[in-house]
Amino acid sequence: MHEMALMGEIVQLIEQDAQMKKIKYVKKVELLVGTLSNVLPDALQFAFDVYKMQANNCLTMNAELIIHIEKAKAVCAICGSQYEPVTKIAQCPACLLPSGNIVAGETFRILAYEGSLTHENYIGS
Amino acid sequence: MKITLEVDVLTNNNRAAAFNRQLFEETNTLVINIMSSPGAGKTTILEKTIEALANEFRIGVIEGDLATEKDADRIRALGAQAVQINTHGGCHLDARMIAAVLPQFDFQHLDILFIENVGNLVCPSGYDLGQQHKVAVLSVPEGNDKIPKYPTMFMRTELVLLNKIDLLPYLDFDVEQAKEDLSCIHPQSKLLPLSAKTGEGMDEWLHWIREGVARCKKQSISQ
Ligand SMILES: Nc1nc2c(ncn2[C@@H]2O[C@H](COP(=O)(O)OP(=O)(O)OP(=O)(O)O)[C@@H](O)[C@H]2O)c(=O)[nH]1
Ligand SMILES: [Mg+2]
Ligand SMILES: [Zn+2]
Ligand SMILES: [Zn+2]
Repeated sequence: MHEMALMGEIVQLIEQDAQMKKIKYVKKVELLVGTLSNVLPDALQFAFDVYKMQANNCLTMNAELIIHIEKAKAVCAICGSQYEPVTKIAQCPACLLPSGNIVAGETFRILAYEGSLTHENYIGS
Repeated sequence: MKITLEVDVLTNNNRAAAFNRQLFEETNTLVINIMSSPGAGKTTILEKTIEALANEFRIGVIEGDLATEKDADRIRALGAQAVQINTHGGCHLDARMIAAVLPQFDFQHLDILFIENVGNLVCPSGYDLGQQHKVAVLSVPEGNDKIPKYPTMFMRTELVLLNKIDLLPYLDFDVEQAKEDLSCIHPQSKLLPLSAKTGEGMDEWLHWIREGVARCKKQSISQ
């Protein structure tokens, strides 16, 4: 289950940053996920829920995960046309060759998170 | 309070990979990350490679598996140093796991470090370990369709060893088709048919490694 490991990376990166800012509780996480990044949003959501249930990290029990989707975009190296490839083998609809350079859709980033220094919004046991 | 972070999810891995890469470059060590599905023949190829090159180069191996020391023991039986990483359920090696075992090697006296990744055709390809070369192993019994079915792996490896060609007479694997599929998704990549069992095709692989070592050493002279 690959998304579990990736969620571990996300929680770790947020905790690193939160610690520096003395933030204790994280209520919201925003990600940007490209359609060609090999990451499944549903599986990410599931992994997020699993992490939320664990008391040993900064996510609150009611923390929210927002996934922004980045559409794929390719530019054909032969004819220069722009199109939305379905797979990483970016076949150009005009040339019918896998001649596209992917310029968007492979992103997998943490955009932002929302945290608080205190317990106020912590609805957990 | 909203905090804008804007970081790649694999930031921590990439940082560790950069650390590893610097060490490999400073010590002129050729490092090859070998990936395949379970049982394609990674360890067998390494065994034959070590046997063939033991008198030429000092070789170390990092073995990645979910559990057991079995693969590391097979390498140690040949007299080469092997360090086993058990991922305990993790489906890939990451750069921090590699960084953690690097102190066990004496890089001043090492020419080649092979990293055998966890048997998995999907996510190992997404993790930079700091290696100079990524090599995939595909084996004849897995069938023809693996290259188009797992494009991310084959788009990121520069060499594909097609192993177990001694079994070609018994199976319907089409080597020419595999070459075509590979050139379609990754034109710079190369398919190298071989059999770790009979030794057929191994010479070209050994030649590729020798060239890699020579490149590493040359860099040190020009520095
Ligand atoms: N016929 C034939 N069998 C081979 C060849 N290479 C490896 N094998 C067999 O394939 C099986 C798996 O080989 P391994 O080298 O253990 O494969 P691996 O990729 O290291 O496997 P994992 O580490 O478990 O992912 C063993 O039984 C080998 O003897 C070959 O060239 N021809
Ligand atoms: Mg093995
Ligand atoms: Zn085109
Ligand atoms: Zn994995």
